[in-house]
This record gives sequence, C-alpha cells and structure tokens, in this order.
Amino acid sequence: MYLSVRVDTEKCIGCKICITSCPEPNVFIFLPEQKLVEVNESRCKACGLCTTVCAKEALKIG
Amino acid sequence: MKTGMLKISPGFEEIMPPEYRELVDNGPYGKNYGINDLGSYKELLEEHPLCAGCGLALSLRLTLASLPMPEDTVIVGSTGCSALAFPQVALHNIHSLFGNQNAVASGLKRALKLRFPDKEKDVVVIAGDGATADIGLDMVMQSWLRREKITTIMLDNEAYANTGGQESGMSMQGAVLNMAPTGKKFPKLSLPEIAQTCGCAYVAAASPAKPKQLAKVVRRAILVAREIGPTYVQLYSPCPTNYKFNPKETVSLIKQREKEGLYQSKEYISQEAKAFLESMEVKK
Ligand SMILES: Cc1ncc(C[n+]2csc(CCOP(=O)(O)OP(=O)(O)O)c2C)c(N)n1
Ligand code: SF4
Ligand code: SF4
Repeated sequence: MYLSVRVDTEKCIGCKICITSCPEPNVFIFLPEQKLVEVNESRCKACGLCTTVCAKEALKIG
Repeated sequence: MKTGMLKISPGFEEIMPPEYRELVDNGPYGKNYGINDLGSYKELLEEHPLCAGCGLALSLRLTLASLPMPEDTVIVGSTGCSALAFPQVALHNIHSLFGNQNAVASGLKRALKLRFPDKEKDVVVIAGDGATADIGLDMVMQSWLRREKITTIMLDNEAYANTGGQESGMSMQGAVLNMAPTGKKFPKLSLPEIAQTCGCAYVAAASPAKPKQLAKVVRRAILVAREIGPTYVQLYSPCPTNYKFNPKETVSLIKQREKEGLYQSKEYISQEAKAFLESMEVKK
C-alpha cells in the first residue's frame, strides 16, 4: 500500500500554492471550474511538503 | 503548440507511451506558459528519481516552467543530482563532464549562432554547486569574462549530494555532513559577487520558497543573456537527505534561514540590462 497526499475538497479553495511547492512534476491537477486541486496519486512521493504550505489544512498524507 | 514542432508519425499514435502522447497534446511548447499555469498542462519534466522533498527537484521544476522559449532552449547540465533528472526532461539537453558545463555551453551557443543566425536560441546551464563553484569555477568564470551569452543557474544544495555528502565551496561554515564529520572550516563562497565582478549583466539569488520571484529572475536572466551578456542565478535548494531534515520541511527551512539572516535573495542588474528589461517588460 503506497502513501499519497489526499485533498479535502471541502477545505481546498484552489489557491494553487501546493502546486508550486511540490518537487514532483504533474502531481497536482488544477480544476478551474471547481476551484480545487486533484492529485495524481501514482506520482506523489508522500514527502508531505505540500501539507506544510497549505494554509487551509486541506492536505493530508494517507 | 506551433504546428509541426512535436508530432507523432502517422500510424504510431497508439504505440507511443501515454506520457509522450500527453506532451504532444498538452505540452508547453510555443504557448508562453509560466508557473501560474502549472497544474493545467503537461510539464516538461516527467517522474524523476530524486529524493522525496528534494529542494533541487523543486527548483528544477519551477525553472523549467519559467523558460521563456522552451522549444528553442538547450540546457547543459553536469554530473550531480540534477543530472539524474535530465533524462526525464523533454527539452534538448546535454550532459557534460563534471565541471565542464560552461565551456560546453559557450561552444554550443556560438555554434547555434552560426547555424541559426536569424533565430534566438537560449543556452541555459543548470548544474550543482560543486560543479559550478568548485571544480567548474574556472570554466564558469572564463565564460563570464569572455561575455558568452549564456545563463548559468546553480542549484545550490550546499553539498556534493550525489556522491554521499561532501562539503562544497557553497556549504556554510561549520556545516556537518556525512563526509565532513568535523564541520566545514571555511565560509560559504559568495558566487553572486564574483559573477558581478566578472561582468555578468544580471545576477540573482532566489529560492523555491518564493516561486514567483524564482520564475521572474530565471526569465530575466535568460532574456538578458539573449541580448546583452552572461547572467547568473543561484537557487538555494536544501537537501533533506544529506542535511538530514524532514522532507516536508524543505520550504520552511528556507524561510527560517531567511529570518535568521543566513539566506538573502538578491538581484543585480547592469544599466544596459535594466534598460533592455524595461523595454521588454513594457512590451509584454
Ligand atoms: C570529473 C569528475 N570528478 C568527480 C566526479 C564524481 N562526482 C559525481 S557527482 C559529484 C558531486 C556533484 O556535486 P554537485 O555539483 O554539488 O551536485 P549535487 O549532486 O549536489 O546536485 C561528484 C564529485 C565525476 N563524476 N567526474
Ligand atoms: S494549497 Fe491547499 S487550499 Fe490551496 S489549492 Fe492546494 S490544497 Fe487547495
Ligand atoms: S506529498 Fe510531496 S510529492 Fe506528494 S503532492 Fe505533496 S509535495 Fe508533492
């Protein structure tokens, strides 16, 4: 079982800060209509860096 | 995408890897994307083998997303951690012998000028601190003194990370590493000052803790190198593996260090470069 970051869509406001803080390419996908981010779990290394920059506490490793 | 820049030969669409197809359909060539568009297009970089939470990987990713003209850019790298990611970069790139990157880039830039006299071709060196400030310093300084129109970007992780953690000229005084157990005895080299003294038209120090600033300085450095002369950008990119901090602290560590006055972002622009950038930035 691999770990990956997960997005709480109730809390995410689509500020995109996590997107520019992730060292891995093509992990976060921005959904402009919903103003949310989505995660490509197979590309996340679960470093947790994005969880430390999200002011809305919308990201958790699990 | 500009027509015909990247296409799959008819009949081969089905068998090309999905990552490649994605790049053809949704890649950044000819589109003038920047870091604000990350998350909405296929990046130039694919899955890489660098460590979880790697500051250098983050700097590299943001740098690639800031290139003003990726389709006409060649990056020249050197041995080190970043070289491990270069095979996953969808750009023309050259792997040079450790430390030779600026000599290779100088020759390449001149050759491209002869081969494509009417076209802009950006040559950007992206290498580690050991390759730039220690073993390659001779070639780096010569390329600046000779006013080669290239951009040099140092991914400064303050160590020889790829070989297990020796101190480099860029490690802080006192830094303890796997292979420097008693701590470094000399202060960190100030390469931005040397770059300025050697005639770089644009010099900046930035970090991925401020992605917009990083994007701005990379873009400016490349534009100035195109028109005026050599440019240098230093990106502080902490290494969780060799400095043994939690991978999720990479960005907070930069901010902490900035607060303590141990890291400062900087920007020096020559008069000529300033006038040029003003004209460019107004046009935009
Ligand atoms: C001519 C030469 N000398 C030494 C080496 C061994 N070597 C490979 S990577 C490396 C360290 C690179 O350090 P740096 O440039 O700081 O990049 P980092 O790995 O930290 O990203 C060294 C010394 C080599 N490959 N070639
Ligand atoms: S940083 Fe947090 S709130 Fe902002 S887009 Fe990412 S998950 Fe959503
Ligand atoms: S946990 Fe690390 S690899 Fe995964 S999305 Fe967050 S920053 Fe990227």
